[in-house]
Amino acid sequence: MSRFFSIEDFPYGKAPFWLLALALVSTLSVIVTQSSSAASRPELVLATFAPNHRESYQGVARRFEREHGVRVTVELVHSRALETRLGNALLAGTDVPDLAEIGAGAIAYFTRGPLSDVALHDLTDRIEREGIRKRLVESRLSLWSSRGRVFALPHDVHPVGLVYRADLVEELGIDVSRIETWDDFVALGPKVVRDLDGDGIVDRYLIDLPMGAAWGVQVLLLQRGVSLFDERGNVAFDQPETVETIAWYLHRIEGKDRVATECGWGQSLMKAMIDGLALFYMAPDWRTHTIMTDVPNAKGKLRVMPLPAWTPGGRRTSTWGGTGLVVTKTTRHPELAWQLAKALYFDGAELGRRFAATGILPPLADAWSLPEFRAPNAFYGGQPVGELFASLARETPPDWATPYKTQAETRLSDVFLRSLEHFRSHGDSGLKDVIRRELRVAREYLETVIGRNVQARH
Amino acid sequence: MNKRLVPYLFIAPYLALTVVFTIYPLLNAAVLAFYQTNGPASRTFVGIDNFRFLLGDPSFHRALTNTTVFTAASVVLVLPLAMGLAVLLHGRKGRARGFLRLLLFSPNLVGGIFVGILFAVLFTPRYGLMNRALHALFGWGLEERFLGNPALVMPAIVVTALWVSVGFNMIYFLAALQGVDKTLEEAARIDGANRLQVFRYVTLPSMRHVVGFVLVTTVISSFQLFELPLALLASTDGKGPDNSGLTLITYLYDVGFNTGDLGLGSAIGWIVAALIFGVSMIQLKLSGLAREQA
Repeated sequence: MSRFFSIEDFPYGKAPFWLLALALVSTLSVIVTQSSSAASRPELVLATFAPNHRESYQGVARRFEREHGVRVTVELVHSRALETRLGNALLAGTDVPDLAEIGAGAIAYFTRGPLSDVALHDLTDRIEREGIRKRLVESRLSLWSSRGRVFALPHDVHPVGLVYRADLVEELGIDVSRIETWDDFVALGPKVVRDLDGDGIVDRYLIDLPMGAAWGVQVLLLQRGVSLFDERGNVAFDQPETVETIAWYLHRIEGKDRVATECGWGQSLMKAMIDGLALFYMAPDWRTHTIMTDVPNAKGKLRVMPLPAWTPGGRRTSTWGGTGLVVTKTTRHPELAWQLAKALYFDGAELGRRFAATGILPPLADAWSLPEFRAPNAFYGGQPVGELFASLARETPPDWATPYKTQAETRLSDVFLRSLEHFRSHGDSGLKDVIRRELRVAREYLETVIGRNVQARH
Repeated sequence: MNKRLVPYLFIAPYLALTVVFTIYPLLNAAVLAFYQTNGPASRTFVGIDNFRFLLGDPSFHRALTNTTVFTAASVVLVLPLAMGLAVLLHGRKGRARGFLRLLLFSPNLVGGIFVGILFAVLFTPRYGLMNRALHALFGWGLEERFLGNPALVMPAIVVTALWVSVGFNMIYFLAALQGVDKTLEEAARIDGANRLQVFRYVTLPSMRHVVGFVLVTTVISSFQLFELPLALLASTDGKGPDNSGLTLITYLYDVGFNTGDLGLGSAIGWIVAALIFGVSMIQLKLSGLAREQA
């Protein structure tokens, strides 16, 4: 180097020389990295946020590669990162996956605005043309629809039941087959709720219900057919059923008729289950499987039953959560992407294996007759849990999505907390009037927020 | 090549990046604040409607109140605690000081999201360490829902934030204490000043630049509070029950990236920027630092 060029020869000094060298090297690295990644880009990229989905898709992906002569990559990205990056990339017009799995709470963000601007493929016509709608639990399309158009394939049904401590329930002489309605269920309270060690603190409750968050109320509202929004995106939770449900709920978590406690999430939930702090837990299919992996020493002690109905003969389930598969408009191979989507979600034998691995019921009714769905589950004392959820699946209520869903959840939670405050200080006196008033305030606020969007009607 | 142009050539890459990634987005956000967005490609000019809406928006008012309360609590609690710990550590010698300094600073090594998740576990009713400790000490709090009771959410956020920020600011104060002229302190002591007087009239004035800096950065970071409540109050998307944990940036995120109204989100962003600028200017003016700099 010293023979041909010395740093001292550089007219502006050593530091500027190294700055320049660094700038050139980093620029070249970026160019080389970009071009090599572009060259090796597979033909179809699927992004998912669930590790167990990624695992279970590998087999289908390899087979699809062989059958169609393409390369399929399944990427795992955290749900929040996936949704944020996908949203930003679609806004900026940069590279995005051909297909992506997103959560039910996020779809409306991607489908907002005029239909022609939505950056996801409208799957409605394909679903109709290929007879898929008839084969699915139709209510599940509600989560993935906007203004009558479907933008994602539903991955699951997520019917909700009650997981319960069968050993403790049996000890107390409770026959769950006699529980038909929520009234029957609540009547068990005096038998169950106890301070077992005499320290003045209740150690056993009937059911785990969140004290403030909206999910508990929402699951029960959906069971009664009340969604936050209707099919057209109008605020729909200001209903007489909502007043009744919130009033019922408040009596379950507060006062002399209290039968519920909040067991939380993760480790505290698992500890509560092991301790028998609550005997019954609301559980969609995915949660029954999480319990199997998180509370292995509860094996044999738990069972699953349908939700009690609000009225005799009424709906015995609800729904909680959901995942859908979207095809982005930027894909260079929309037909292949659609074929891959169908292979992933509607391949019967594969769905059986996937249910065995994840416990999640697919919305494709044809699949439920596969042996895996009828197999006894050793963790739940040999109960065929898949069969139970399949029997409830057709009853799952629709749950319509709009971009204002998180705001609506917050407002519903506010209604709940203000009603709770009133209930604590005044009991039943004027409670339903307060709930009605708060629901009206919440609805009017949301309508103002939605109404100020001058393009909302597009 | 003209020698006068060379410096500009060297700062050109930095300038280019700043223009592309800072100046342009800032200007674009300023323009966007006067539009209503709907979807990725559609926008409508609405003048000052976004700002007018925020004036009457109860959620924005709640976010502003919460953020102000958090900022005030941070300033009132963090600064004296950080200063107190710095003074205590400054008086120690040897390995103990290094160890304690590391111990108090260590929460900063793990990041806000981790701290939020950790404290969410600590505040768990019945099983959380905080609940158990309070019950053991005072016979109260075992079933208290610190993250579910609107009255307790902000205190829980403040306590969590203290755990992180006290140690961080203590490092600044410790460094400043080491830079104080010992001869001045000695002279004050010879003149009969007690320890408190020495601290009040000699040490503290000598540290005023650092105190001013910590004050301004504490206010700025408090107004930008986001990831801590997001992790701590994950079940309510960082808002807490009855919006009791909603901060300005959480609201901005919710409006911009959940609802998708980037115009309203930009308006909130500019209001936050104006607030931070205004409060910082007032602080600098009151502390006299700006005048000294001039």
